[in-house]
Amino acid sequence: MSFLQKNNSLLYLISITIFFAIFFFGSCEKEALTPDDIDFDKIPYKTLSEYGFFTGNPADMNPSERVLPYKPVSQLFSDYAEKSRFVWMPQGVSADISDKENLEIHFPDKSILIKNFYYSEAENGEQRIIETRLLMKKAGKWQAYAYVWNDQQTEANYKITGANIPVSFTHGGKQHDITYVQPNKNQCKSCHNQKEELMPIGPKARNLNYDFDYGGGEVKNQLAKWQETGYLSNFTDPKSYPCMVDYTDESASLDLRAKAYLDINCGHCHSAVSPASTSGLFLTYEQKDATKWGVYKPPVAAGIGAGSFKYDIHPGKGDESIFVHRMKSTHPAVMMPEIGRVTVHEEGVALIRDWIDEM
Amino acid sequence: MFRLNSLVIVFFLGMSLCFFACKQSGKVEVKDTSEMHKATSEEIENLVEQFILAEAGTTINIPAGFYEMGTQLIIDNLENVKIIGAGMEQTILSFKTLKVGAEGMKIVGKNILMQDFAVYDAPGDGIKTHNCDGITFRRINATWTNGDKSKNGTYALYPVQSKNVVIDECTASHSRDAGIYVGQSENIIVKNCTAFGNVAGIEIENCTNAEVFNCKAYDNSAGILVFNLPDLPVADGKRTRVYNNEIIENNHVNFAIPISETPNGNTITMVPPGSGMILMAAKEVEVFNNKILNNKTVGVFVGNYHITGFPMDAPNWSPFSSNISIHDNEYERPAALPDMTKDFGKLLTAKNAHGVGKTQDIVYDGFWDESTGKDIAENPMNICIREKGMDKMHFTRFDMRGGEKDIKAYKNYKPFECDYSVETDVQMLTQL
Repeated sequence: MSFLQKNNSLLYLISITIFFAIFFFGSCEKEALTPDDIDFDKIPYKTLSEYGFFTGNPADMNPSERVLPYKPVSQLFSDYAEKSRFVWMPQGVSADISDKENLEIHFPDKSILIKNFYYSEAENGEQRIIETRLLMKKAGKWQAYAYVWNDQQTEANYKITGANIPVSFTHGGKQHDITYVQPNKNQCKSCHNQKEELMPIGPKARNLNYDFDYGGGEVKNQLAKWQETGYLSNFTDPKSYPCMVDYTDESASLDLRAKAYLDINCGHCHSAVSPASTSGLFLTYEQKDATKWGVYKPPVAAGIGAGSFKYDIHPGKGDESIFVHRMKSTHPAVMMPEIGRVTVHEEGVALIRDWIDEM
Repeated sequence: MFRLNSLVIVFFLGMSLCFFACKQSGKVEVKDTSEMHKATSEEIENLVEQFILAEAGTTINIPAGFYEMGTQLIIDNLENVKIIGAGMEQTILSFKTLKVGAEGMKIVGKNILMQDFAVYDAPGDGIKTHNCDGITFRRINATWTNGDKSKNGTYALYPVQSKNVVIDECTASHSRDAGIYVGQSENIIVKNCTAFGNVAGIEIENCTNAEVFNCKAYDNSAGILVFNLPDLPVADGKRTRVYNNEIIENNHVNFAIPISETPNGNTITMVPPGSGMILMAAKEVEVFNNKILNNKTVGVFVGNYHITGFPMDAPNWSPFSSNISIHDNEYERPAALPDMTKDFGKLLTAKNAHGVGKTQDIVYDGFWDESTGKDIAENPMNICIREKGMDKMHFTRFDMRGGEKDIKAYKNYKPFECDYSVETDVQMLTQL
């Protein structure tokens, strides 16, 4: 009796040991998370790593398979932060680019846009990732989720109320000590807003219709690459899509560079379908009416933002134009854009000033 | 001769005293908040979270306390949301330390109620509501507590491109532009409100179907304004009735820009202190039963956009004021010199039809659309004035068609003796 009991206990012990061994062994062999594992009913996750966007050391920002880097031809200024952007879509679906009139790319459900904000030369000359912002499309609507990186740069945590983060970084040989402001969740729509729906800004046909270096010698038109990856349907020939210029490209005309700058930095809000529609000042690349983009246009509700000046753009007088005045400021009621920066974009100011001076 | 000289000296002494007294009126009385409960960082974080997590039908209660907000409070396109404080003196949201974002609060949605709280020191606008249908401000106090008013924000309460707007029992003070500013909106009631210490007290701009009544506008540079400005998505505002208001002593220095600077592109920077009401490029406006007292420059000014000197070629918009009715108001002229700080103040002071330095009750700048009639005597813009004792009032109609060098002024009000009434319908707002 007692032998049997002993024997049973032994078997029991052995089986438990085997079970745990398999369990631990199995977990070691378990494949790393990928975005395919994301349960859209459970987003937003508390931590960035749960999404499986990156492999290896998180701070290296190495994308998982099918997490494709992209870059708009001209970029929004965000306190000299560098940005790495990625797009991901589920298997078997793709975005629609047939709407050439509105230049929008229509993304399928469960599309994800990922944007890391970092400084290559932050404190002690080391790289520091500040935050990662996600746009995720769920049941036809985009959702915005922001993650703040920890000091150890091992993980980023979901934050909805925003944060003021002291950062020191070097740009152009000059040290900047700033309080980087991560917007609160509802501030996302101060920019990402068309007809009160949350919308992406960068991924438009005309912003992606140019070459990107994918590494390993692969330099390719981004729309073509998206098509090849399965992320675009009905894309035909790059030539049949518009193309904006890179505002840092000095070989392009000053006029197009200035308009590209204004489009990507201002046009998301200053359009007829966005929050700054109240101003009547419209700064999208397609705008052809000079008054609408500010020439001899008095402000409406600019208050202190108007400074000592009469017009948004006073042709020939960059420094007497409200554009330059507001771009040069960091006072929250004066500066434009209203959010997204606490420093002055000197290069941007110079570009717009030159443009107005030459009018 | 000696006697005359001493009179002159007394006069200038009096003037300089008045000058200091007028400066004194710029002093801001600030509520002592030191004894109030200071909201903890957890309480503040919790409040921000409530705004972010709010859904249709949510009521956000903000308990009494002084909240030093580090970020904007935003309602993002929701329906049937109520934001309720513990009282205009009890719940204070201060936005003094905002680093980014111009407005303290931004509201978008349908059927939104804000009630019983105060908003202090937003860098730009106190509360901005945009694309709202059904928005009520009730017992909201929006103000700035900077001693130096040149640091103050633009609008205290700022509904824009909204529909069905009610502003009731609110107080707006010390804005660098307008305290209560309703822009590009439709169906509006502003009632039982108090606006003081602002550049403009209450302004209705590019709006249609608005009523302003039972309000007090005092100690602003200008009391109540009805404007239409060009090149805006909503440019053809019309039908406003302004009645039963007290528009008193709006003689505050215009601090929209430093006194040493010439006006910038904001129309408000041209407004002469001492203006009771200003209508500019206004359409279908009726002003009646108001007490318009002791505004040192002009009681009611009916103007056209021409006086700004800005370009006037804009789609769907006309620079002229037309179909205006001013009647049965009570006027009182103060014993003070009109404004001399703004070009238009100087013009009124020097060139009016009643003598240098005389305060005016009603002024019409006299531009008209010559395609509607060749002779101002036929009142082509339908400007109707019926005030009691008109013969004793100071009425001036200018003719500035000859340019600055040839400004003519006339006392004759007879061409404008007509009756006209404006129909507004704000019934739909009574349940808000």
